[in-house]
Amino acid sequence: MEQSNKAHRKTKEKNTAKKKLHTQGHNAKAFAVSAPGKMARQMQRSSDVNERKLHVPMVDRTPDDDPPPVVVAVVGPPGTGKSTLIKSLIRRLTKTTLTDINGPITVVSGKHRRLTFIECPADDLNSMVDVAKIADLVLLLMDGNFGFEMETMEFLNIAQTHGMPRVLGVTTHLDLFKSQSTLRTSKKRLKHRFWTEVYQGAKLFYLSGVINGRYPDREILNLSRFISVMKFRPLKWRNEHPYMLADRITDLTHPEKINREGKQIDRKVALYGYLHGTALPSIPGTKVHIAGVGDFPISQVEKLPDPCPTPGYQQKLDDYEREKMKEEGSTATVTRKRRQRLDDKDKLIYAPMSDVGGILMDKDAVYINVGKRNEDQSFVPGQEKGEGEKLVTNLQSVDKSIAENFEGVGIQLFSNGTELHSVEPEDNIEDEEQEEGGDKGRESMRNPRVYGKSVQEADDDVDLDAIPSDDEQNYEDVEPEMVKVDFGKQHSNRGNASAETDSEFELSDNDEDGWEAAAAGKLNANKTKRRRKWDIGKLIYMNNIEPVDCIKRWNGEEEEDEEESDIENDKSDFFTKKAGTTDNEKESFNDLEKFVSYFEKMEKLVEKWKSFDSINDRFLGASMRSRGNDTGDDSNEDEVFGDFEDLEDESNDADKRESKQDEDDEANQSDDSFADFDEEEKKDMTMDEERELNAAKKEKYRKQFEIEEGENFKEDDPDNEYDTWYELQKAKMAKQLEINKTELDDMTAEQRQKIEGYKAGSYVRIVFDDIPMEFIENFDPRFPIIMGGLLPTELKFGIVKGRLRRHRWHKKILKTNDPLVVSLGWRRFQTLPIYTTTDSRTRTKMLKYTPEHTFCNASFYGPLCSPNTPFCGVQIVANSDTGGGFRIAATGVVEELDVDTEIVKKLKLIGYPYKIFKNTAFIKDMFSSAMEVARFEGAQIKTVSGIRGEIKRALSKPEGHFRATFEDKILMSDTVILRSWYPVRIKRFYNPVTSLLLEKKTEWKGVRLTGKIRADLNIETPSNPDSAYSKVERVERHFNGLKIPKAIQRDLPFKSQIHQMKPQKKKTYMAKRAVVMGGEEKKARAFMQKVLTISRAKDEKRKSKKADQRKERLKRLAKTEEAKLSKDKEKKQEYFAKNGRKRSSNVEDSRSSKRR
Amino acid sequence: MSSNNKKSPYVTFQGSQNFRLRVVLSTLSGKPIKIEKIRSADLNPGLKDYEISFLRLIESVTNGSQIEISYTGTTVIYRPGIIVGGSHTHNCPSSKPVGYFVEPLLYLAPFSKKKFSIVLRGITSSHNDAGVEAIKWGLLPILEKFGVRECALHTLKRGSPPLGGGEVHLVVDTLIAQPITIHELERPMISAIKGVAYSTRVSPSLVNRMIDGAKKVLRNVGCEVNITADVWRGENSGKSPGWGITLIGETKKGWCYFAESIGDSGVIPEDVGEMVAYHLLEEIESSGVIGRTQLPLAITFMVIGKEDIGRLRISKNEIDERFIILLRDIKKIFGTEVLLREINDGSNHDDDYIVTVKGNGFTNANKKIA
Repeated sequence: MEQSNKAHRKTKEKNTAKKKLHTQGHNAKAFAVSAPGKMARQMQRSSDVNERKLHVPMVDRTPDDDPPPVVVAVVGPPGTGKSTLIKSLIRRLTKTTLTDINGPITVVSGKHRRLTFIECPADDLNSMVDVAKIADLVLLLMDGNFGFEMETMEFLNIAQTHGMPRVLGVTTHLDLFKSQSTLRTSKKRLKHRFWTEVYQGAKLFYLSGVINGRYPDREILNLSRFISVMKFRPLKWRNEHPYMLADRITDLTHPEKINREGKQIDRKVALYGYLHGTALPSIPGTKVHIAGVGDFPISQVEKLPDPCPTPGYQQKLDDYEREKMKEEGSTATVTRKRRQRLDDKDKLIYAPMSDVGGILMDKDAVYINVGKRNEDQSFVPGQEKGEGEKLVTNLQSVDKSIAENFEGVGIQLFSNGTELHSVEPEDNIEDEEQEEGGDKGRESMRNPRVYGKSVQEADDDVDLDAIPSDDEQNYEDVEPEMVKVDFGKQHSNRGNASAETDSEFELSDNDEDGWEAAAAGKLNANKTKRRRKWDIGKLIYMNNIEPVDCIKRWNGEEEEDEEESDIENDKSDFFTKKAGTTDNEKESFNDLEKFVSYFEKMEKLVEKWKSFDSINDRFLGASMRSRGNDTGDDSNEDEVFGDFEDLEDESNDADKRESKQDEDDEANQSDDSFADFDEEEKKDMTMDEERELNAAKKEKYRKQFEIEEGENFKEDDPDNEYDTWYELQKAKMAKQLEINKTELDDMTAEQRQKIEGYKAGSYVRIVFDDIPMEFIENFDPRFPIIMGGLLPTELKFGIVKGRLRRHRWHKKILKTNDPLVVSLGWRRFQTLPIYTTTDSRTRTKMLKYTPEHTFCNASFYGPLCSPNTPFCGVQIVANSDTGGGFRIAATGVVEELDVDTEIVKKLKLIGYPYKIFKNTAFIKDMFSSAMEVARFEGAQIKTVSGIRGEIKRALSKPEGHFRATFEDKILMSDTVILRSWYPVRIKRFYNPVTSLLLEKKTEWKGVRLTGKIRADLNIETPSNPDSAYSKVERVERHFNGLKIPKAIQRDLPFKSQIHQMKPQKKKTYMAKRAVVMGGEEKKARAFMQKVLTISRAKDEKRKSKKADQRKERLKRLAKTEEAKLSKDKEKKQEYFAKNGRKRSSNVEDSRSSKRR
Repeated sequence: MSSNNKKSPYVTFQGSQNFRLRVVLSTLSGKPIKIEKIRSADLNPGLKDYEISFLRLIESVTNGSQIEISYTGTTVIYRPGIIVGGSHTHNCPSSKPVGYFVEPLLYLAPFSKKKFSIVLRGITSSHNDAGVEAIKWGLLPILEKFGVRECALHTLKRGSPPLGGGEVHLVVDTLIAQPITIHELERPMISAIKGVAYSTRVSPSLVNRMIDGAKKVLRNVGCEVNITADVWRGENSGKSPGWGITLIGETKKGWCYFAESIGDSGVIPEDVGEMVAYHLLEEIESSGVIGRTQLPLAITFMVIGKEDIGRLRISKNEIDERFIILLRDIKKIFGTEVLLREINDGSNHDDDYIVTVKGNGFTNANKKIA
């Protein structure tokens, strides 16, 4: 028996990693890229994604420290729960329950972030436009049951034209869905629709039902977290303009004046709010636009203490003060713990127009709500917890009424004399304040300077109604009278004493006499104690001092006593100046008209420039040379290079030389010109010192090299540290911002104010002098008040040319010269645009209507706005006139500004020939006089059939007839056309939408549309019968055959010979034969004919019957269809009457019934 | 603070000084100005012919500007329009050289709608106004530093006073939205001294003598001195004999200093050369980053820059009456103040100042997009 062995099994080839690389003869390792196509695609994709992330680098001008609050606008159709959302968020952020939302509400939401909530009135297009311009974040509310409504869409489109803020969708009323599945599908549908509107992946929040008048806490918490971490990109327009959302207004007009002159007078109005955007220039008389009111010059701006400071900023202030205290040697340092989350104390809310924080600002009164917000007792005299409370207790103790106080304040604002008497109480107050400061360490340090208050600031004293209405933010203890002054000093405490005394002096150039006297008096008082060192920066802008004197004083060329007398004379100087300035031409070197500047006499110059020592360091070569001379060597360039090499050597082999320094020195530097000198120095130096010296030297040479090479080491260098242009730009911007910051920080507060202006984030009060009374009388806090700064260009008026497109959702095309309300920049105005197109860039041709689906150009008169600014237009803003359609009529962008334009429209003049010669014809009916013809002599004309010609000369006899020549003979039936271009003038019509002046703000009506006027006046739309389209009926024309005379034919060249076949002479085969039918055949034929005739008649009959039947049937069908449609409509109406009435007056009722 | 009085829509100036600058600033800012009492006390009151000519030039390069001149010519109201530019030819009166007209155009040209291409005919050099070389080598580099790269002044014909007959062509092809914000905190080092000595209708030896004179002074200055002789002959050399020299101290950073002068009859060419050389040295000594004559241009461009802070080092000598007048006019029209800050960096120019300017956010709105 043979042993049965297991068959040999070959060892399986293990599929190792190494083997895997070698599959099917392909060595993966041998090729870097295995699938080049795939890799290319991948790379393309990734770079695509990266590129898409890039935006045009833009400087973000919002200050890092203490930025303005983020404007969160809550927008949505009526009844979607906007107020509820704001209430819920406010409740979540500040633990305050609002009963009423009026105007902006500012709350602290984080250590460095504040939010300003505004509710956009749902039924007002104007407010929607304004809100879209200033909102940083939009909470777009929509009813989950209805999805996107007209208002939502309109708002999104408006926002898009004005630089798209961040948009968060919030869906409400989701509790009304009965089944989960429909809820889910509708959520999904909404989400996708939202994505197409905003961007793919935009966040949409879902809020379910309302509990206790609020949305569920968890959902609100999520939303508020989302808001508080949100980042914002700078938007171009807002990055170039200062703007402010007014959260408070006061009428400062003197009541007496209103009494005296009637309430129709223009009002002096103060707007309060946080500044956003760029810094508001502090130049008096700067014009700004108040949306819905108009353009007004600012008469006064004043920075107020922040009513709602962030904890981060407060902490910074505290730190700053602590530092100062340390410097001054005070030991009382109270270290505050840094917290991770907001203290309840820090959760501030500031909403002067709503009743919050106990104070409700009404138009003419202040109501103080003595609520029980904090557990411990409030409003106890002497133990107030903040300024607000103190104010109340003060008011209780004061015997004057608010009205009286108010009056006194008004006087102070108006007359100039009062500034002086206000100085004294102020001093007292601050004295007292200092005394009190003893027990509360911090406050006293915050106001260290008492007497340094400048006159200017005293002037700016705030009146009673400027009391900060928040009761928690200001811990300063103030005495009753303090009320008037406590704003001024906040910014006075940074300026230094000397600067302020100077500023007093500077005031003397102000135009008011009162000032003059005051300042002069002050100066005299100060004179003795001040050693005058003139600051050139101040001197330059003192207009009452002649430039020559400025320089003299600055150089101290004037004697002391002379100077003093000068100052005393300043006042008189000021008055006599006007006469004096005119004769300035004498000093020709003071005039910039003269280009060549002043030089000394030749002799002096020769004397002076014996040697160039004073400017030796200004020449690249010279400095080296002089140094070379110092060392006693011959001065040439080689030597410098020798230095270089030497230096390299030294630094490189520093340690090598450590061992054998002596020999090396000898060997290395024997040929070096520098040798002895170096060696001498080295003798008594340690290693470190030597290294230091070398490093310094190296640095020096590096610098020298850089200087000599110019800018090569700078940004233009292709191998700088930044990979891309984008990064480089970013870095440049960051650097510039850094420079701005450091430079501005170095300035004194006063200088900074002058140079920078009021920066974004500061809470300011802006006073306007002549605001129409309707603004105050018809003030409604629901409608946002927006103040936007204007650049110089925007103050000018002219023709704005832009590219414009009718919005595809707007139902009608737009008509030229039909009024359009344009929202451009901050402004909203009605204007009469002319739509144009260009004929291959040769002329701008007017269009009667906008094209259906493409862009056209539009030119309109209005305030100029720099190119690339987008705008949108609506036809009607009044709610009563809108018919529920989509209101955004057009969107566009400004392309060019001009003062006038040439727009033409085509004008065709038509004439008829009445006498025709060969190529000449007499044309009638085109002109009515010879003069007109003369104007058009030489003009191109054309017949309808396309024969071109030219006008030659007017005929003498029938007036207006002329002779014309053509390229060919024309026919009497031809029509001659002269195409000409007629200039169209743009109507200079600008009608700002002053909606805020109306009592019913949603009902602003401007110039009516053409169609509306026709409808109102019952005028039929004119129609030219010639313009109407009708069927073209052409009579077939028969032409006789071409006959060429024999003689001509004979002379024609062979090629052009007319080849004609001769007529056939022989008969054809068929023609030769005649067919004769036989008897039987004939009969059959006749029979067949009869039969066929009968059958044809039958068919005819059947057909006509069938057609009748068919007609009947169609009629029947149409009837049933109609019945069905009407039934459907009825059903629909019934359904929506029952279920879809969202905007009826009984919203609440219907909703509550729905919920059940 | 004339802008305070709301009654007048104009910024009001008095006197004839800074006439061109005021008109230019007004055009840039768009604010209408009123200049009163122009030589009202003079025997020959009112605007001079060259000033009227200048206003005509401004009118031709702008669109929609309105100029009202009172009957006596002592009051001018100027309502600026839009800077348009384009191609124009301007015949300058014999009382002022072309430099008088080119200089203000340099302020406007980069901010126009179309490219500037202006031919000016007249005298090309004089004692008191900018010569062609001074503009070409002294002012255009300043423009370049502010981002106006493509600008050139071509001398087509030279025309010496009194008869002139010269022709220059100003071409500015760069249209910028706003000038670059500059930071120049160090005095730049002069790398070379260049110069042009020219003559029209006189012997070429005069030119060489001028060069010799200048070189004699600058021999020991320690850097390369390179003066070109530029002798004009034939019909391109104008109607009158004349000669002059312009010296430029060049730096590698692009800044420059210059001095120029022209010769009169009876003056020794060597003396003119020497004088200009001394003037150049004087100018170098008394200037920070830029010379006194370049200062108005630079400061104006800094003021109309981006809303960033720009810095420029000037020397104490540069703060003179003209500087103060300049700053006051700027403040009156733009409302912008500059800050002068002393340097204490321990260098040997301790009395230098840094001019700190925050640009007012001006942008060239005239230019068409796309």
